[in-house]
This record gives sequence, structure tokens and C-alpha cells, in this order.
Amino acid sequence: MDKFSRRKNVIIGVLCAIILIFTTVIQSDMYKRTAWGTKHVITVGAFSDSYWEVQNGYSYYILNDAIQRFEEQYPNVKVRFESGIMKEDYSEWLAEKMLSGDTPDVFFVLPDDFNGLAELGALKDLSDFTADDSTFDDGQFYDSAYAYGQLEGVQFALPYECAPKLMFVNKSILDREDIAMPEKDWTWNDFYEICSKVTKDTDGDGEIDQFGEVGYSWRDAFTSNGVELFNQDGTQCYLAGENTKKAVTFMDRLEECSGGVNVGSRDFDKGNVAFQPMSFSEYRAYKSYPLSVKKYSGFEWECIPMPSGPNGDNVSSLDTLMVAMNRNTKNAKYAWEFMKILTYDKAIQSEIFKYSEGASVLKSVTDSDKAPQELGQHIDGSGILDQQILSDAIENAAVAPRFRNYDYAVAEIDRAINEIIAGQSNIGTELIIWDRSINRKLKNSGW
Amino acid sequence: MNENRILNHILRVMKNLNFLIILYTSVMIFCGLQGYIQENTAMNFLAQVNTLPEAPWKIPVLTICLFGCCVLLMNMENIQGRGLVLKVCLELGIAVWISSFLGFSYTGMILLILADTIRYIPRTKGQIPFAVIIGLFYLLIDYDLITICRDIIPLDAYLAYYQKDVTAVWLGIRNVASSLNVLVFIIYMIMLVRVQMNEKERIMVLNERLDALYSDLLDANVQLEEYARESVKMAETKERNRLAREIHDTIGHALTGIITGIDACMALMDVAPEVAKKQLGAIGEVARQGMTDVRRSVRALRPDALEKFDLENALSRTINDMCTATNAEIEYQCDTRLDCFTEDEEDMIYRIVQESITNAIRHGHANYIRVLIGRTGDTLQISVKDNGIGCKDIKEGFGLHHMKERLEMLGGSLRYNGKEGFEVEACIPIRRGMEEV
Repeated sequence: MDKFSRRKNVIIGVLCAIILIFTTVIQSDMYKRTAWGTKHVITVGAFSDSYWEVQNGYSYYILNDAIQRFEEQYPNVKVRFESGIMKEDYSEWLAEKMLSGDTPDVFFVLPDDFNGLAELGALKDLSDFTADDSTFDDGQFYDSAYAYGQLEGVQFALPYECAPKLMFVNKSILDREDIAMPEKDWTWNDFYEICSKVTKDTDGDGEIDQFGEVGYSWRDAFTSNGVELFNQDGTQCYLAGENTKKAVTFMDRLEECSGGVNVGSRDFDKGNVAFQPMSFSEYRAYKSYPLSVKKYSGFEWECIPMPSGPNGDNVSSLDTLMVAMNRNTKNAKYAWEFMKILTYDKAIQSEIFKYSEGASVLKSVTDSDKAPQELGQHIDGSGILDQQILSDAIENAAVAPRFRNYDYAVAEIDRAINEIIAGQSNIGTELIIWDRSINRKLKNSGW
Repeated sequence: MNENRILNHILRVMKNLNFLIILYTSVMIFCGLQGYIQENTAMNFLAQVNTLPEAPWKIPVLTICLFGCCVLLMNMENIQGRGLVLKVCLELGIAVWISSFLGFSYTGMILLILADTIRYIPRTKGQIPFAVIIGLFYLLIDYDLITICRDIIPLDAYLAYYQKDVTAVWLGIRNVASSLNVLVFIIYMIMLVRVQMNEKERIMVLNERLDALYSDLLDANVQLEEYARESVKMAETKERNRLAREIHDTIGHALTGIITGIDACMALMDVAPEVAKKQLGAIGEVARQGMTDVRRSVRALRPDALEKFDLENALSRTINDMCTATNAEIEYQCDTRLDCFTEDEEDMIYRIVQESITNAIRHGHANYIRVLIGRTGDTLQISVKDNGIGCKDIKEGFGLHHMKERLEMLGGSLRYNGKEGFEVEACIPIRRGMEEV
């Protein structure tokens, strides 16, 4: 090799090395870490209105307090967030941020988006943080709420606030029909009996105008009858089980009870329905003055746990807003600390009772003596929710295993149950047929 | 040479084409992603894919950077052996990297790498394994295969942003370019094979010519040897004939005269002793004349130098010649006149000096030789000493033996010593009463 070629090759080699290093730095976002100099910046993705779809005027109160707390602890870190994003636009906003490579370091995750984002690999696996952080004990969370942030057994998000499903009871109807309030441990039979008793034509025009329930879905029935619909990794569906069959049969009977009239939630608002399952957040929102005046003014109502099935318990499902970390964040340490302040800090968590309509995901906060006071401030005195009911409902809430294609599978089951109840065929046989079809799709991911 | 230039041209076309395809595809992806963001349909995009894409602007920027890097690598010169393997691996890695940005929808760069690499490898040194490995790479970098072990965003997902007919145009142009790349590659390979075949043919033709020339040379050599043998034989015959003629003309003639004269003398001895006496005188004259003739003949066989010059001049001339011819330094010193010797003796002296110097240079590898000729009493002393490697175990070869024999015939003696350099000392008696000077 002559001297000229050697020199040329060396120059080319150096140039190539520079380009490759440049490419790696750009691709891995390493430049972001140093661009701000000594001051670290973490960005947060949040929406301005309440997750529970209530206009409460407290947007960003909790977040701002959390940021203040965090910045006091870590003066070298600045937390930023983009304000003004509505909840209905939030998913799209987040998706756009992810597409343009500006994903916030920490962001709220709506339950509907959780599976998709975790499958995309947009969320950081938090297992290392939860295991290594000695100040962190996942036992402080309600198990159900904590499990909400898992996909296929991996922790991708921490719960921020939650709301269990509760049964709203129109006390006025029950009083009128001379029926006692159901106990906390009431069953499907009690439920059915009351429903059949109250379903009647009250004004004598030949049309049924008072109904037993509205909005009680197969999911509520499955949950309260101990149905485990899928295995952990989502490769198997157990639609043909005995518990399932009982639940579907019960749904069928309830459906018949209403006499084929299509009852809507407006009927409950008008005071014509005895029961409607609703989220705890709605209890918070509408029980309090002055909103309750607008919505449920004509009757008295109360919350109790969901009725239990023959093989189950008084268990309901849980809705949880979560916080997750960007998988490619360059400030993972601070992001984790900020997540902890949002979800694990008792002072911040207790603000949920003050400024939001959900319940804290920390047992100690929800169970504390202060919680009822916070609740009481908003309640008009027609009845205070038994704190124990709330805590039990969260604690016992059933969390279905999360896996890829979970949403598709559930949509398919929804279709199956609706068709079975609408049709006249044998429920057991139909369930077996649907079970086979859904299992086939689960195995082939053929959605 | 011309064909190589065509190959370089084709390669350049391939590089440009690949650059355009990569730029085009990455811009297509960039526009698609931007479109999703602008129209607030990012969720739709994410719903189609299994993993997050790179930020839109990074895709064209990084692919072009990487492509530039790859082309730079291709410009390296005279890379061989391990360096070549490293270079090819690096190029392949970059190609896969670029491909990963483009959803593994374009792998034509590997053909470019193959085309570029195959030229540098001599046919004998693993051109085929190299081509096979790179070819395998080309086959294995396939979208469907890679999805088995890695989540990739397919190009279709980016393109789903566009309307169907726009997508068709985007893709159509790209596929034409991509096919063109394959076509150019095929043309390149055909050209390469042609170039190599031509070269092979040319080498074969040259080889044949060389073979023919070699056999001609062998024939000529045989003829030459025969000719040499013949000419030696002819020279011998000629010399023999000349000698025979000389002998016949000189000794034969003289002896014939002498025999005839003696026969006549024998007859006349008793009858006319006076006439016989006279006759004997005449015979003596014939014999002397014969002797002169013999001498003349012998002189015709003497060395050239002695023929032309006297001994002294001949010696100094020979020594000078030797000096210039061999680069050895020869010191010559003669303290006595050398015009008192017979021709035989002159020959002898000349031969001793000549032979000794030749031996010193040839066998002793000497670069300094001292020749001394002097006289002590009635003896001429010749000493030739050199600084060469000498000889501890002297075997008397033909040269020394011959010298000694001839010296002894003339009543002289020869001594030699090979311990420090080599030294020859010859003593020759001076017979014709020459006075010492």
C-alpha cells in the first residue's frame, strides 16, 4: 500500500467513525441529555380536565403541587408540561408526541391506551425501579390498582387514581315499594327479586315505566361470579366454564325481567330505575352540591357494592388512571422520582379527594380519617358513603390479566354475549361454540 | 483498461441510483409520518404498528449520513486481507442499519456492496465465498424474516397515510428504481465476467507464445552446443593438420635432408672423406635450418603478449590488465633485467606470474596482491603473495602441478604456503652467463 493510499484510508476511516458516532448520538437521543447543560428537565404529559369527565375547575392543581414538591426535593431538575390538552384529545396528542420523537418523560396513561402503548414498547419496564428502590413498597398500593399497570406480568405503569364500580340505588323507589335497602353482601337473587318486584306499570297506561336495572353488563356479572375469562398470557379463553354459563343465564333472566323494553340511563336520571352500576367518581361528582341538584333532584339515592353471584363475591371492576415513563427517557432516575411523588406521596395522593373525583390508590390514604372529611365536605348530607365500602370495593376489585389483543378479545366476547342473549338457542352450547372460535383467534392472533 | 473504466461508470451509476432510492424512500416515510401528525391521526398509525418509529426528521437525515459513510468506505484503496473483511462487514452493517430505518423495504444496497467488493478480491482468493456470503445476506435481510425476531414498522404503515392512488405512484416509482438497481447490478456482473474472461484469454495467448518461444530456445541451445562441439573438433583438426604440416615441412623436411645426406656420407666416407666431410657440413646446415624452422613453429604457439612484447613489458601489461579487470590492487616490483632468458624460460616466468595472480583472485578472493621478481646470485626469484583467504589444506591441482613440473624441467623449484593468504615462490637458475647488474 503506498503512502498516499494509506493516508487517504486513514482520513476516510476517521470521517466514517465521526459519521457513525453522530448517527448513534442522534438516533439514541443522547444529545437531548446534554442539550440543557447542568439543569435537567423532565417533561410531563397531562390533560387539563378531570379523567372522570367532570368539570371541576381544579385542572393541574395536584400536578402543580407535585411539581412544586419535586422541585423542592431536586432543585437541579425542572419539570415542564404542556397545558391545555383536553382529555378527549389527550390520546391523539400523546400519539403525535411519540411519532415526532418528543414523548414526555412521564405521562398519564388512560386505561384504554395502556395495552396499546405497552405493546408498542412506548412504556418503560418499571420492574428494576420497583425492585431496586428501597423507599418504594408496592404493598402500599391497592393490589388491584397496582396490577392495573401490568401487561403480561410486567409492571409498565403506576396507578394514580382509581374508581371502583358501585351499585347506585334509587332509595325512593325502594321506599315506595316497601323494600329494604340491600345489605352490603347481597346476592344476585336479592338483586333479581328486587328488579322483578319494581318492574311494573305505575301509571296504568299499559306500558312498563318503572324498571329494575340499567347498565348492568355481562362484565359486572362475570366479575361478581368469579369468572376468570383469560389465562395470564392471553393464549386461552374460558368462555365455556360453569361460572360463565351461570352469569350469562342470569343476564338472560334480567333481560327478560325488563319485559323487552330498552331501558336507558336517562330513565335512571328521571328516577324510574331502581339500580344502575356507576363509577365511584360519579358518586363523588353528583353527590356533591350543586351538581346533584341538576342531575338527580327527584329522588334519594345511595351506593352499595355490586351483588355477588353464586360462585363469586361482592366484587366489581376498577377504573384506574395511570402514570408511566417514556421508555427512551434520558432522565429515568428523576422521572421515577417524579412518578413516585405523583403516585406514592401521601400528601399528593390525599389531594385526590380534594381536587378530583377518584379515590387514592394508596391504602393508607383512602383508609385514613381525613378521607371521609374530604368526602363529607362535598356531600349534601343525604347519606355518607361508608368508607369501608369504598376501600373494600377497591381492594377486592377484579383485575383481568392484560395481554396483547385484549381489547379485541373483549370486543369479541361482547359480541358473543349480546348474540347469545338476543337469540333463543341453548346458552351452554352457544358458549362452547363461541369459546372455540375465540380460542382459535387467540392462538393465531387472527384479529 | 477501457473495460475497467466502464465498470467504474456502472458502479457510479449504481451508487447514484441507491442514493436516490434511499433518499426517496426516507422522504416518503418522513412525509407520511408528518401527514399523520398534521392531520391528527397519529393514533391510527400507532394502532397499525408494533413499535414506535424514529422521529420523522431523523429518518432522511440519518439514512443519508449512513449512506455517505458507506460510499466513503467504498472509496478506500488497496485494502486487503483482514482489512477488507472488516470493511465489508462495516458496509453490510451500515446497509442493515439504513434498511432498518426504511422498514427493511429496501435491500438493494447490499448488491452495491457486492458489486464494489467483488472487484477487489483476486479470483483465486475466495471471490466465490465472499460473493456467496454477501448474497446470503441479501437474501436474509427480508422484512418477513426479520419480523420473527424484531418488531418492524412496515413501509405500508407509513404509506397508509396517502390515498391509494398516490401510494401506487410513490411505490411504483420506487419499485422501478429498485428493479433498475438490480438490472444495473446484473449488467455490472456480466461486464465483470467479460473483463475477467478477456484477461484470462489474453494471458492464455501470452502463455502459448511463451511456450513456443521457450521450445525454440531449447532447440537453439541444442544446436548451439552441437555447433560448439563441432567447432572445437574443427579447431583441433585444424591445429592437428597445421602441426602435421609444420612437422612435415620443418622437421620432416630437415630429417629427410639429414637422412639422405647421412646416407650419401656413409657411401662417400670411404671413397671421398673430404667430400663426405663437406657433405656433413651441409647436413649440419640443414639440421640447423630445421632447428630454426622448429623454433619458428613453436613461436607461433606462444602467448600473444610475449609474441608482441618482451617479457618485462608483457608482465607489466598483463598485471595492469588484471588490475583494471578485477579491481584487485596488484603491486608489481621487478629489480632485475629480464632479457636474458630463453623463450621457454620467458614462457615459464610469464605463466607462473599469470597463473598465481589468477589463483589469488579466483580461489583466494584477494584484493591485494604483491608480485616481486628479484635475483640472488644465479637464481631468479619470483614471489607472488596475496591477502586472500588462503588455503590450509593444499591439494596440488593441475595448475600448480604443471608449474612445478615445468620448473623442474628447467632446473628450478617451486614452494607455496597457504597459511596467511597464499604465497608462491619460484626459483629459476639463470644459465646464460649473464652478469649481475
